[in-house]
Amino acid sequence: MDVPPEVSQLRTAFRAELARASDPREVQDLRDRYLGRKRGRVVALLKTLAGAPPERRRALGQAANALKQEIEAALAERRAAAAESRLPAGAVDATLPGRAPAPGHRHPLSLIREEIETIFSTIGFEIVHGPEAEDDYHNFEALNMPAAHPARDMQDTLYLDGAVPPPGGEGRPATLLRTHTSGMQIRYMETHEPPIRIIAPGLVYRRDTPDLTHSPMFQQVEGLLVGEAVTMGDLKGTLEHFLRALFDDDTQVAFRPSFFPYTEPSTEVFITCVFCHAGGCAVCKRTGWIEILGAGMVHPAVFEAVGYDAERYTGWAFGIGIDRVALLKYRVDDIRRFYANDLHLLEQFPS
Amino acid sequence: MKILVSWLREFVAADAGPRELADALTNCGFEVSDIAPAPGASAGGGADAVLDLEITTNRPDCLSVRGVAREVSAIYGLPLLEGARPGGGGRPEDGDGGDAVELPITIEDPDLCPRYAAAVDDVAIGPSPGWLRARLEAAGMRPINNVVDATNYVMLELGQPLHAFDLARLAGPALRIRRAAPGETIETLDGQERKLDTEMLVIADAERPQALAGVMGGAASEVSESTRTVVLESACFEPVSVRRTSKRTALSTDASFRFERGTDIETPVEALLRLRRLLAEIAGGRPRGPIADRYPAPRPTTAIELRHYRVGRVLGIDVGREFIPETLRRLGFGVEGGEDGAPWTVTAPTHRVDVRREIDLIEELARHYGYERLPSTFPVLDRPAAQPGAWLRRNRLLARLLVAGGCSEAFTYTFIERAAAEPFAADPSDIVPLANPLSEKFDVLRPSLLPGLLDAAVHNRRHGRQDVRLFEIGKRFSRGGGETPALGVVVTGAGGPRHWSAPVREADLFDVTGIVERACAGAGVTASCDSAGPAPGAPFAPGRAAVVRGRSRDGREAEIGRAGQLDPALATRRGFPAAGGALLAAELDLDALDGLAADRRALHAAPLPRHPSMVRDLAVVVDAALSARAVRDTIQAAAPRTLVAVREFDRYAGKNIPAGRVSLALHLTFRAPDRTLTDAEVTRTVDTIVERLAAEHGAVLRQDGSGNDG
Repeated sequence: MDVPPEVSQLRTAFRAELARASDPREVQDLRDRYLGRKRGRVVALLKTLAGAPPERRRALGQAANALKQEIEAALAERRAAAAESRLPAGAVDATLPGRAPAPGHRHPLSLIREEIETIFSTIGFEIVHGPEAEDDYHNFEALNMPAAHPARDMQDTLYLDGAVPPPGGEGRPATLLRTHTSGMQIRYMETHEPPIRIIAPGLVYRRDTPDLTHSPMFQQVEGLLVGEAVTMGDLKGTLEHFLRALFDDDTQVAFRPSFFPYTEPSTEVFITCVFCHAGGCAVCKRTGWIEILGAGMVHPAVFEAVGYDAERYTGWAFGIGIDRVALLKYRVDDIRRFYANDLHLLEQFPS
Repeated sequence: MKILVSWLREFVAADAGPRELADALTNCGFEVSDIAPAPGASAGGGADAVLDLEITTNRPDCLSVRGVAREVSAIYGLPLLEGARPGGGGRPEDGDGGDAVELPITIEDPDLCPRYAAAVDDVAIGPSPGWLRARLEAAGMRPINNVVDATNYVMLELGQPLHAFDLARLAGPALRIRRAAPGETIETLDGQERKLDTEMLVIADAERPQALAGVMGGAASEVSESTRTVVLESACFEPVSVRRTSKRTALSTDASFRFERGTDIETPVEALLRLRRLLAEIAGGRPRGPIADRYPAPRPTTAIELRHYRVGRVLGIDVGREFIPETLRRLGFGVEGGEDGAPWTVTAPTHRVDVRREIDLIEELARHYGYERLPSTFPVLDRPAAQPGAWLRRNRLLARLLVAGGCSEAFTYTFIERAAAEPFAADPSDIVPLANPLSEKFDVLRPSLLPGLLDAAVHNRRHGRQDVRLFEIGKRFSRGGGETPALGVVVTGAGGPRHWSAPVREADLFDVTGIVERACAGAGVTASCDSAGPAPGAPFAPGRAAVVRGRSRDGREAEIGRAGQLDPALATRRGFPAAGGALLAAELDLDALDGLAADRRALHAAPLPRHPSMVRDLAVVVDAALSARAVRDTIQAAAPRTLVAVREFDRYAGKNIPAGRVSLALHLTFRAPDRTLTDAEVTRTVDTIVERLAAEHGAVLRQDGSGNDG
């Protein structure tokens, strides 16, 4: 049976309006316009039935009533959907930012230092510290660098104008800023007997003009191990373990001869480039290797300076620059950034 | 040291190419930092190159082509070649430059100049031949004229610094090697007039110093176009003296660089012979008499005992009984003895000024054995690891608490400019200056961590950061007190995390004192802040400064630091924006804090409360100048031990409060350990407190409803 055109026009109009009605008020308006007793268009159509030709009256009546039910059902469905999506009273917009606690951030150099401290603590090293303002004896002389030793040129020294009292007031007055943490070897051995296993982190100073890779102030960790049967093999094994723990398990470590007045034999230690993994890049100057620390067997003259029996004891020492490790590990492009304390950098590190 | 590979091959017939040579030398302790193509055409054709070697300060013998060749010969087991070399064709011994010139040499100070050799030659000054110029340039030296170039060439070849004087410009041929007289001066070759002191060794003619021994010649006797006859010097000077003179005059030359590291005392005459031959070929050199050689006390060689087992004890491996003498002999050492496991007696060649004791020989063996062949072992641990020291625990704890409190960790420079330091020093004369600062920006040691943190806050403001919270744990310095550890904190911007739900509260003094109190509490120290009186010149704004006092668990008290709002004028001078808001700072003396800190192993938990507590709120109107602490102290003194906590919750001035007075509202918490307190007894206690506050401070109980108990 054909739907009378009046009814199908009304249905089309309703469907179009229904598609546009979203909130509950619009749904109610829609109902009023079609099913309202006064102005409802379906109701008006039903009212015309009485005047319709009898042969159409029945079909028209059935179609109009069917439309009426259809509209009721559609509106009920829409009301239910609207009710479902309506926010309950007091609802909040969870897409707004949360009220997070705002902890600060550790400095990248501290993160590296603590990582090194953890690695060495785990293998039985004590963590010690000492003065940054040092005397000439502990910084140079006792380390086999007497006055006028050309090796002193390797470390351009910042001197104090006049002396300041030593820590605790006892000992030699400080006359310079320490150029390395190696003086801690002497300070510790002066007050302890072997066996010795220490690391000594701290700030050191050189009279270097700041640039991308130089800072007049930087941080080092010194390591010292002394005992009755300590060998250069132990130095290699320990440093390989340390560097793999610090960088990654695949890091290769190479030892090349070098010179430091306070160790003999001395070595410069290289790791496979952290950027290109030995493929060759600008950072490693296409060699695949990066120099990472200096080390060696403690020179007998150093043992003699602290009154140890250099026949009985052997030992090794190393020194590593924390800033250099941080530059490599965190891929920071300029060592001076570590001392500018820009929050844009600091906030990239964990709390 | 730049070494031309083709020149090196005149001394050792190594087949290896430049890259392979560079690797071999690097693995032996002579790091090759660069391999550059040789400039111009090379004499021998083939692959020539310039190796840039880093020679460590202990190996001055390798500051020459022959020295490096010795190492290469030892590495490859090849002989060191003598014989034909470029410029060696001249036969000065056949020539006769005319009448022999007598050359009286007097060494007045043999301690500083153990050997001095010299010779007189006639020469014809002119440019050097191209091959010689090319070699000098490859080594990074500038050709000057044939005589000067020849001295430089022989220095590069044999490592012996040489000097030529113009005989005509000396006051006679007699040379005295003596210390400078007081007040003497010399104009050195670089045109500088230099004042001499009596520690400096000079080469003098009959009248005056003509050279700064081992450092630089004098301008007066410089070889020039008109020179016809030269005095050639080839000497050995004592390293410490040369270094001192070089440092004093700020003059570092190729000669001083070698002498201060140590030259071979046996080379001077050989070098003079070589120089004469070269001059004969390239500068018409004709000897005017024999070489004069003063060597008053020939240096004895020292015998070093070397024990096989000791090598193994140091290196951790037995390198083999044959390897030891064989390697040392290749390097030019004399090796005797060693039969049946006995120690060897080793004598070092004279050019090895670095070898004095057994460990030096062990190093030679390690280098040539190869570090890569040494085993990787792990030391035996024979005692437990020491616990982290108190300083380390304290630093880690403070860092943790401060980070939790929103502060990021900073490292600022230990040296700062005096103008930045002075406002933070109690006494400017207590500031420690540097004797040789890098610049005026870094000329004193910081008396406080705060100037650096202030600058860091300014830096962050300039880089768009409004909210800045930084801390630093570091050392500060004073003339009287030396080096002491401190904690510095700086806070500016918002008083807490910014959030859309609430207006921004600007940070004030209580943000920074709160951080300090929390940090101290972590160490078991109760910190309290007292308003500090006006201190002229102090870094804090008047009325916005506090002294921090700490109290230990056992009741000891000490001043441990200070806190406050930095003086806005001071902050502005350091670049902080004038309308930038308050800049708050605090600094704690960590030695003082340590003195009060609780022993972490003596911490015991108190029993939990078994009876309910009662809280009464109290609001009193007091004089605005009266401190909260005074009110708190009075309350505590007036109350029995059942008062367990006093906490301010409001401080109000304005409507309904008379001018000059404030309403202070407090929560009072009462509790007894053994019973439930009654309402009546707490009320009696509060009444007593109110009476005491009225008597001592003229406090009036506020009656408008706010803070009534109930």
